[in-house]
Amino acid sequence: MRSQDIRPWLASGGPLLFVAALPAILLVGVLLYFTFWALAFSFTDLETVGAKAVNWSWVGIDNYVRLFTRKGFLESLWVTLQFTFFSAIVGQCVMGFLLAVALRGKTGRLRALVEVSLMLGWLLPDIVAAFLWSATTSESGLLNQFIVIPLGFDPINFRNDYALTVVILANVWKGTAWSYLLFTAALDSVPREVLEAATVDGATSRQRMWRIVLPMIRPHIATNMLFITIWTFTYFSLIFAMTGGGPGNDTRVLAIFLYLQSFDVHKLGYGSAISVAMLVIVGGLSLIYLRLLKEPK
Amino acid sequence: MERSTHSPMMALALSFVAVIWISPFAWLLANAFDTSANGQLRWPQTPGLGNFVDAISGEAGGQFVNSVILATGTATMTVAAAAGAAYGLSRLTFRGKDAILWGLVLLRMLPTNGVLVPIYFAAQTAGLLNPLGVMIALTVLNLPFTLLLMKNFFDTVPFELEEAAHVEGASLWQILIRIVLPLSRAGVAVVWFFAFTGAWNEFLFPLIFARSEAVFPMSIGLYSAFGQHGAIQYGFLAAYSIVYAAPAVGVYFLLRRNMNTGFAGVGVKG
Repeated sequence: MRSQDIRPWLASGGPLLFVAALPAILLVGVLLYFTFWALAFSFTDLETVGAKAVNWSWVGIDNYVRLFTRKGFLESLWVTLQFTFFSAIVGQCVMGFLLAVALRGKTGRLRALVEVSLMLGWLLPDIVAAFLWSATTSESGLLNQFIVIPLGFDPINFRNDYALTVVILANVWKGTAWSYLLFTAALDSVPREVLEAATVDGATSRQRMWRIVLPMIRPHIATNMLFITIWTFTYFSLIFAMTGGGPGNDTRVLAIFLYLQSFDVHKLGYGSAISVAMLVIVGGLSLIYLRLLKEPK
Repeated sequence: MERSTHSPMMALALSFVAVIWISPFAWLLANAFDTSANGQLRWPQTPGLGNFVDAISGEAGGQFVNSVILATGTATMTVAAAAGAAYGLSRLTFRGKDAILWGLVLLRMLPTNGVLVPIYFAAQTAGLLNPLGVMIALTVLNLPFTLLLMKNFFDTVPFELEEAAHVEGASLWQILIRIVLPLSRAGVAVVWFFAFTGAWNEFLFPLIFARSEAVFPMSIGLYSAFGQHGAIQYGFLAAYSIVYAAPAVGVYFLLRRNMNTGFAGVGVKG
């Protein structure tokens, strides 16, 4: 940050600036307060309804012990990890990168078509995407109409039989635009001269990719992974609207587990413990990515 | 990489991707404009706008209004709160400023789920399990990101202009209203529409805060419509989806240039 003197018109306007900043200070304060509150709740047996909504008590680390001893949390964590790995990292990140490379420097209709359709998926409200994918993967849906039935098979209820795969694909479909945009910007930041120099020196296109482009855009890759991992790990609406966590617990990711425990079973204390566990895991993943970001070349 | 046309294999692969990405939209349009839609992808059998009429009248129309109120309210509150503080963050130097900026970056990454339970509990205690509560909750969650975004926009306003105005005898208030705000119009618009789209798409908070059907926004309306009915009215749902998605999509294409600036501003420069 460059140092600058306080400008005279600002110096005299201190009270005005303070008053203007007050709502934001207050609201951010509230957010901080809630974060600590979530931590405090997780050591209580608070519930939304009934006696324990009023007469709650401190239960120490019981809620955290329950995370590991009762069925639910660990299974849900496993589903979440699969969902995150396949839809964010394998799907969106790799797909977005490949598309960015394939469309780099291209003009024309195909590029515009791919870009606009990616963007439309991304801009669509979650629930619309959920409806689209529910409808197209149902027994009478698009996938059966155009692929399964013409091939002579009985219609498959994808949404039920392959629920996790379907929500992963839906999320790749919806979210790839972000990675694509970010990687397009990243590839543009690689100077053309560097690539040309490498070509002159006899580097093949594969070598240019692995030795020059990827190392140069590593910060972008890490940033992208950081954001999409956090978003995907805590994603709720698309999955919930498509499957509600079912069938069985097949797609019950942590966000849905948290929702059900807090607002369906009404155990806010246990729900808070789940949310704290989620924060810890997300924080841990973020640290890994941030190290990747900072590490010298 | 220097070639400007696609190799045949690449063109084929890209077309394949395009088909996969587009077919759900084709399905959506075909069903929305077909008054006898049955959920198949086919040319509309009885083309018409009947589905759209259903999707903007009666209960569905009310949900549209609810969504407009929710999204406009959230966006306006977010901009008002963020603009006030972001100017100070941009122009003032004070101890701990870096810490505040990094704190905001961390808060911006805080997953909503992490504070869901306390927010719900606080809203219940304060009697705010209603649209106003949703607006306040979303504003609180928007702030860390919008503060950073807005600060980046104010940083681009040259302070020489403010200096000149000051020399001419303008007060801080006049400088803010006459110079800073007009020059950062684009930034204000981006933040406003960012918050607007976010609230327009929001599902989780209305789901746990909305106590009566009368206050359901479109996200909940669509969710309960395709969740409940046994025999799905595909035509109506498809039209409803288009009506619901249009503002979020339209806003982006209207503001595309400004959005890219905002996109670049995602990172923080201390």
